[in-house]
Order: sequence, then structure tokens, then C-alpha cells
Amino acid sequence: MLIINCPYCGPRDQSEFSNGGEAHVKRPDGSKEIGDREWGEYVFIRANPKGLFYERWVHTHGCRKWFNCVRDTSTDEILVTYKLYEKKPNLNNFKSVVKTPSGEPEVGSGNFTVEK
Amino acid sequence: MKSINLKENQFIQFHQKISFKFDGVKYFGYKGDTIASALLRNNVNLVGRSFKYHRPRGIYTCGIEEPNALVQIISEYSEPNTRATIKKIYEGMEIESQNRWPSLENDFGSINNLFSPIFTAGFYYKTFMGPHKKFWKNLYEPLIRRAAGLGKPPKDFKGISNHIHHNVDITIIGGGLNGLLAAKSFINSNYDVLLIDFEEQLGGIINNSNKISSIDNKEPKDWLKETIQEIEDSKNIKILKNTLVTTYNYINHLIAIEDRFVGSKPIEGKVNSTLHKIRTGHTILCNGHIERFLSFQNNDLPGIMLSSSFEKYMCRYGLAPSKEPVIFSNNSNSNSLVYSLIKAGLKPKAYIDSRSGEEIEPNLFDLIRKNDVPLYTNSQIKGAFGNKKIEKILVEDSSGALNEIKCDCLCLSGGINPDVHLFTQSKGLLDWDEKDLTYKPSKPFQPTITLGSASGQFNFDNLNSDINEKLKTFKVKKLDVKLELNTNAKYNIEKLWEVSPQKKSLWAKSFIDLQNDVTTKDIRQAITEGFDRIEHLKRYTTNSMGTDQGKISSINALGIVSDLLDKKVNEVGTTIYRPPYAPLSFSAIAGRNCYEFYDPERKSPIHNWHLKNGAIFEDVGQWKRPWYFQINKDESMHDAVQRESKNVRENAGILDGSTLGKIEIKGEDALEFMNLIYTNSFTKMKQGSARYALMLGEDGMVKDDGIICKISDQHFIATTTTGGAATVLGCMEEYAQTEWPNLKVFMNSITEQYATFNISGPKTREIMKKAFPNINFSNEEFPFMTFQFHEFNGVPIRILRASFTGELGYEIYIPSNSAPKIWDNIQSVGKEFGLAPYGTEAMHLLRAEKGYIIVGQDTDGSITPIDLGLSWMIGKSKKDFLGKRSLTRSDTIREDRKQLVGIIPSNKTDKLEEGQHIILDKEIKSPVPMLGHITSCYYSPTLGHDFALAVIKNGHSMIGTKAYASTSSMGTTGVDIVKPVFYDEGNKRLVS
Ligand SMILES: [Zn+2]
Repeated sequence: MLIINCPYCGPRDQSEFSNGGEAHVKRPDGSKEIGDREWGEYVFIRANPKGLFYERWVHTHGCRKWFNCVRDTSTDEILVTYKLYEKKPNLNNFKSVVKTPSGEPEVGSGNFTVEK
Repeated sequence: MKSINLKENQFIQFHQKISFKFDGVKYFGYKGDTIASALLRNNVNLVGRSFKYHRPRGIYTCGIEEPNALVQIISEYSEPNTRATIKKIYEGMEIESQNRWPSLENDFGSINNLFSPIFTAGFYYKTFMGPHKKFWKNLYEPLIRRAAGLGKPPKDFKGISNHIHHNVDITIIGGGLNGLLAAKSFINSNYDVLLIDFEEQLGGIINNSNKISSIDNKEPKDWLKETIQEIEDSKNIKILKNTLVTTYNYINHLIAIEDRFVGSKPIEGKVNSTLHKIRTGHTILCNGHIERFLSFQNNDLPGIMLSSSFEKYMCRYGLAPSKEPVIFSNNSNSNSLVYSLIKAGLKPKAYIDSRSGEEIEPNLFDLIRKNDVPLYTNSQIKGAFGNKKIEKILVEDSSGALNEIKCDCLCLSGGINPDVHLFTQSKGLLDWDEKDLTYKPSKPFQPTITLGSASGQFNFDNLNSDINEKLKTFKVKKLDVKLELNTNAKYNIEKLWEVSPQKKSLWAKSFIDLQNDVTTKDIRQAITEGFDRIEHLKRYTTNSMGTDQGKISSINALGIVSDLLDKKVNEVGTTIYRPPYAPLSFSAIAGRNCYEFYDPERKSPIHNWHLKNGAIFEDVGQWKRPWYFQINKDESMHDAVQRESKNVRENAGILDGSTLGKIEIKGEDALEFMNLIYTNSFTKMKQGSARYALMLGEDGMVKDDGIICKISDQHFIATTTTGGAATVLGCMEEYAQTEWPNLKVFMNSITEQYATFNISGPKTREIMKKAFPNINFSNEEFPFMTFQFHEFNGVPIRILRASFTGELGYEIYIPSNSAPKIWDNIQSVGKEFGLAPYGTEAMHLLRAEKGYIIVGQDTDGSITPIDLGLSWMIGKSKKDFLGKRSLTRSDTIREDRKQLVGIIPSNKTDKLEEGQHIILDKEIKSPVPMLGHITSCYYSPTLGHDFALAVIKNGHSMIGTKAYASTSSMGTTGVDIVKPVFYDEGNKRLVS
């Protein structure tokens, strides 16, 4: 159970929020000609990295506001939340050390946390 | 094994006798006894049969780590898999053993033990493969289900549980020596502290052993009493007893379960457990350690027990399970058992240590010598033997000679492990300690502190410095506790995981997991077969996959595997310890969110009228909607629906449509926003008019529909489907905020603020005139798809002329509080015109006759407006709207997409059913190409036969042709594919 810092309300329990998938995905301008591939990628394709990820959340049972965050998908740690119109933070500002391709240690998986 | 009662203590009172039943036989125990201690007191040593081989099993431990002694509590709704070692007895308790038939002594399943050479690792994967798919469902699964498993599921669900939330600065888990010292440091500090212990009495090792002789020059028990008093008096510390922390989530979120009826029968209707949900700043883990066992032949025989458990029975329950147990150890932790036995006037039958004489602690040596205890150093137990109980053991001494020792009890110690379950659940990293031969917490992932043996500090000599150092950040006063011990302060262990059996035999078994019946041979075989990764090996052998998660044995398995692979244990790694730490019941997790509180029930303002008028309700999302109204108890649903439908077509009907979603959209740019959200164009629409509209997903598929009322370019009211209201509002919010933040528009739900009545039928206009005499309902003044605002008896109302039934119809929107009165008025004025209420089922029938779809019934998220034949609703001149571009994707313009059509049986007396597949051939010969299926189907009182809506491939071009509907009895029914309109195709009744 995470605590998420709503940029409008402050830290609240995860159960008040809904996840909205990848952030900063631009909707193609409908007034222009859009190819099948470009539109298909907008509708169906999203990134799913292990590690740092720009993500959208909405404070569903709170202020109903959408906002963005950077979440480390290997640890669930939410590193920063920011308003939609704010500039997206540079991922280099955050440390995420994913050692093996899948993030697990080379042996076993009891020690599955990536080193901070 | 013959037990003996020792002296009473503060935990057990010999004058308070309690009677209970085990497998139908009455026994006596004392107040404070667990089921296990009471059974041991009565010399009942056989308490269960094992999971796979049905081998006789006894009581192995004295705590939560117990793998064997699981029982069914008959007197508590037959609660299964209860650990006998922690559950306290009460007067009249009824207990049964598990996994045996017909009786514990003579168990039929024990024949599995004879066949055991075939029940090896991967047995299920290899055996139950063929010869035919049906064998699994009809033969193997029922057989396995009967033979395997532990207890039987309880018959009635009666447990009541409360959930309590805590927000604290510090949570201390474990109220043993270290937990108490940590709590003591925080006395009267500014921190909010929660101290949680699983037992009724705080004290841990002070209560459970004779290791400590004095604390601050006081008797340990006196010191304990004083310290607990100080902590209890401190205003900032709350103590939760009988509470087990089962889960350590991210971020510092703990789940703990409190048993509210320890030592008494739960009272029906009273809360019997509390689930604590704790959010904490820091967690201090003081949850101690767990002793592990050792593997040798028949190490599962009743009468074998962990040595610290034996000592705990002595100290906590005033009970020595045996007068002269043999002790077998490879470490110093069992020293205190020898001390305790001798202090109690008893004597071990023999002390066997795998360590050499030089390694063994000198004071233990002295104790053994002084009391003439037979001592075997550098020695190992090759096996234990006996019929349903231990009778003798075979010891290989330092010279290699074999010695047979007769005994009724064997105490084992294979070393101790920090209880790392919660630490690893918190995603902390472990490290292998080569000297102490165990995994110890190393790097925490969350603000987690480990103290004492939970942190791998098995020695008491740096107790103060360790706590002071780790609690430094809190700036609390430093501890200076003086501790004196009865046994050696330094922990010492020699590597020993398994002793090989004396004689090789297919039937010789050395167990590595007692609960799941996994032997060391299974581990070897799995590795030979290539399952050498620890996570694979775990699944293949089921090692440590029982409800105990291998608490006394999983580290042993890692040791054995590392030796077999010739790797370091750190290289082998550990498997994940998953929450919960110990099983907790579903009723505890459900808490009060069950029965009527499982999901909120939403009721319309007219609900009470429906109740009084014979409504049978259906659940639509969380809403209770009248499904149909029974005029008398004998009226069937079919008859009621036919009557209601017919009445709407001939007279008039009224439907409570209050549950429909209603969203108000306002703002400077509301028009542009609505044009982007819905497929339709609202630009040219007149003020005061309404339009049926579709909402798509970005994939072009129909997501919702409704009627949009345009009050002005800056103000709209949209209706949604009953189930889709929240999703539609959410979608509007999302796009308004994320895609078009430049648009000035706001939206809010007004679903519950307004009740909606849908009146329709040929006599509706007469009824409306009478109900609202000041309003002109003529076709010219109030045309189809327009709305008007009025005031009626001081109540502002909005009337929309629209219809979902195909008849002349009006929808009246009324503030909820005033709705019941106006509803009653309409009922009374409508009587003379034959007005009757109708439910959702008749509404569905009537709309299907008109070919009106229901989103979610006739569509399934893969249907476009074009597939529905609703191309006219797409505002083609609009540059953009949700999903517009998807309507011209190569997939959405395919001609063979499933399209909405009407279906009628070729022979009018034939019946159709929802879900029937539409196929081309009369004969069913597999594979049968399927065209699509029937989505809605009713018997029409107007047509006098069945009719249906269906989505079928290329349906629009198939209209006018014949096909077949497959029946559940593998037959077919001939059908005609027709236009999806069965009634008043020209809409004459709607607009006149
Ligand atoms: Zn908020």
C-alpha cells in the first residue's frame, strides 16, 4: 500500500487513486492527416520498462485531478509527483540501479530488491 | 512419550481444570494450556497424519512454526488447519485430527507410505498426464482432492472481524527482551509507539527458557514485571497482545491480526478477531529467531521435538513432555535445555553433539559430567525407529561404532535462524553468515531496524551497544542493562544438515519438509533432473510450500542444495518469503465488508413505493432496479413482463429511470468539448433540443450512449447508461484535464440529485395533461426530442420528450426529494388510462422490438457505430472526436466485421435463446464456422413469437437470408436474418 503525494491535496493512501498508465503520450492532432501506424501506436502501444517510468495517476476519491509522477517500477517507489502542466523531470536526477535484465539478483530471488 | 507435570507458574494454574475432546475422547488440561501442551500432558503423541504419505505425526514444536500438529476445531465452525501449538484450550472445546480415514490410529491412506517410491518429486506433473483429457477432470482431480490436503473447509462462515487503522511513528514487532528494551527507550518520548506481541504475555525468551539468570541484578521475572508496568504506564506507547503481524508492505504498512478470544470459545455475534492496518514511520523488528531441525532417517516420528520447544513446554506450561529425552544438537543453543532439565530434577537420557569435545562449551561439559549424562561427542544420529512413536535411535559415535539407545523422546537442534520473513517481505536484503550458518538481514529497503536475534545477534554480550547504536537516530536515552546468563553467551554451531541413513532403502525417508512430505531424496532427484535453481526446485518438490512456509526447514534445504551443487549458500540464494507470515482467515480479511456491506446498495427515491407494489429487483451495478412488478404472488416473471409490455403498447407504462447517469456540463467551451467527446455534432442543434449520442473509446468501439440536452452552447446535460455513469464522467474529466486543458469546461455528476420517470405509451399525452395541467403537450408545442423547464407546485422540473420503447414518451426530471410526491400523483391520475409501472425486463423487450441497443449487452467493446448501422450518428464533418480516426483503420473498415441484425425463427413457434451461435449449416459437423451470436432475445406479445438481436459476420449484407441457431442439445433452429427493427419502422408512434 503506497502513499501517494497528490500535488493538490498532499500525501494520501493509494486506495484513493487510480493509475492512468504511461504519461507524456501525445494524442495526435485530429485535424491533421494521421497514418494508421501512428494512430495505432497512440491507441495501443505503451512502454513497460523495469525501472524509472513517467506515469499518470488520478486522485479519483479526492480532488479528481490528474497528475504525473516518476515511479520506479522495480521497487514501486514514487520518486516525484508533479502537475500536468509542469515540465517533466529529467530521469538522470534519479538513481535506479537495475542490475540484471529483469532486476532480480543473479541467484535466487529472495533478494529481489534493486540496490538503492 | 510419558510426560510429567512440573511446578505451577504464572502462566499455568493446576487448580483450574479444563475438559476438552480430541477425536471424541475426553481429556483434561489446565487453564493456560495450548491444545499441544494439553495433549502432551495426557500422553497423546500421535496427533495427525502427513500430507502425502499419511505417516503418523506428533507435536514437533511449541509455537507458530509447527509443521505437523494441525487440527480441526469442531467447536468453532470446524475451523481447519489450526496450529495445536498456539491455540489455547477452553472448557468444552472439540478438536479433531486431520487427513486420516477412518481413524488416526488406523489410517487407510498410510498405504501411500508403501507406494512411496513412486510418489517422488514431480510425481503429479509426471503421472496425471493422460491418456485422455477427461481423465484429469473425472478421475485424477477428485482422487487427489480426497487424498491430499490438510483439514476440511468449514461449513458455515460465522466469524466477525473488525478492521482498525493505526498511524504511528514507531512500531515494535515482538515483545521479547529486545522489544521490551526498545520500548523502554521510548518511554515518555515524543514518539507514538505501538508494541505488538503475538502472545498473551510479553517477555519472549525470558518466559520461554532459562537462558537468562538475572537482569539488572533482579530475577528476570521481577525485572519483566517492572518493565512491562513502566511501558504500560507510558502514555505514548500502546501495546497490542495476542496480535500477529502477518504482512509487511511497502510503504511501512503492516497488517496484524489480533485474536480476541484466546483461551475461550468465540461468542457468536461478537467480534472474534481484529485486523490492524498500521502505517508507521519506522518499524523495529524484534521478532526473534526460529530453531531449525535436522534431517536423518525417520526424523518425523512422533516423540521428536525441537529442543527449545521442549524447554518452552517446561518454562511456560510446567510440563516436561518426557522424563528423559535424548538431545541431539550441532550448536550451543540447546545448552539451556540441559540446564533446565537438571534444574527440574530430570536428566537427559543422552546428550549427542556433532561437535568435537573441544568445541562444546566448558560449562555444558561440566554440567553433563557432574550429572552423569551419557555424552556422545563427534557423533550423529543415523536414524530413529519405532511404531507410530519413537522407540529407539541409532547413534554413530566418534569411533564410527553404532550405538542403539532406547528412548521415548528426542530433542533436536540444528541451529537457529533469525525470523527474517517480515524483513524480506519488506524487500530487505539478506546475507549468508558463514560462521553462524544462516541468512541474516543486511540492507533494509524501508525504514526498518532489526534488533536482537531477529537481526542475527545470537550473543547477548553486545546487547546494549547494539540497541543504542541502532536507535541513535531517535535521540532517546541510552540503555545500560546488566545481563547475566545461566549458559554460554557465545553462539557456536558446526555445519550439519543431514545424516545419511545406515542402510540404503527405497523406503528410507529423511524429511526436509514435514508439512509437505518432501524428503532429502526428492531434493537430490530434482537436481539430477535439472531443477537446480532454488525457485524451480521449490515448485518441483513443493519444498517449503506448506502453510508453515518451511519455517524450521527451509534453510536446511538451502544447505543441502549448496552442498550438492558445490556452491556457496549465498550463490544458491533463497526463495521469496511471501505474506502472510502465518495463515489468516478470509473472514478476518473481509472484516465488515460482507453480506449487505460487501458493496454499497444504491436505491432510487421511489424505492419504497416499489417495495410496496410487488417489485422484484435486479442489480444494475450497485443500483437496485425493479425488474418487474408482480400483481400477485402466483404471477410468473414471463407473465408479468408480457403484461407490462403489452400495457405500454396499448395504454401507458411508467418506469423509474432515476438510476440513469446524469452529468451536467458547463463552461465557455462546453459546445466544443461535447463535440470532441461524442460522435454527434451538437453545433447546429437548437437550444432546448435533445439528441441520442454515442461515446467511443479511442479504439473506435462504442463505450456508452445517452441523450444529450442542449440548454445552450455553454450548458449541456448528458444521460449515461446506469452502469456507465462513473466511467463516462471519469473519461470526460480525463480528456478535459489531460488533452484539452485549454477548454474552459466543468462537469459534475447530478445522478442522485434528480429522479427520472419515463412515461410511455399511446395514452401518455392524456396522462401528462392531467398530471401537469399548465403545460401544453401538443405535438407542435412540444415536439419529439425537445425539452422544457417548468415549475410544478413550486418544484422545478424538466420534461424531455423522448422514448426508449418506441411509443410516445416523456422523461420527467425532478429533484430527488420532491420525486415521491409527484410519482404518487402521476399514479393516481394515470389510473383511469390504465397506467401501470413496468420494470427493466419489459423495458428491454420493448426497446429490442425497436432495435435500440443496450451498450454492454448488444455490444461488447468490439463493436463500432458502423457495425450497429448507426453511421448517421457520426459527425463526419467534425475534425476530431474520441475514436474518430479509428473508424477508418484497416480493421474497422473490414467488410466481414460482426454487425447488428435482427433474427426471427423461420418457424414462428420455435424458441430462441440469448448466447446461441448463428451458423450456416443445418447439420453440426465440427469444426463449425461461427458467424456470431444472439445478444438479446425475447418473446414479443405484439408479434406473437420470439425475436432476437444478434451480431454476425457481414450481417448487414446477409439481411434477407436464412441461417441456423445452434441449440444446447447439439441441434439447430432455422432462422431468418432481418433488419433489426420489429415494430413501427417508420417511427410514426414516436413523433405523432
Ligand atoms: Zn488530490
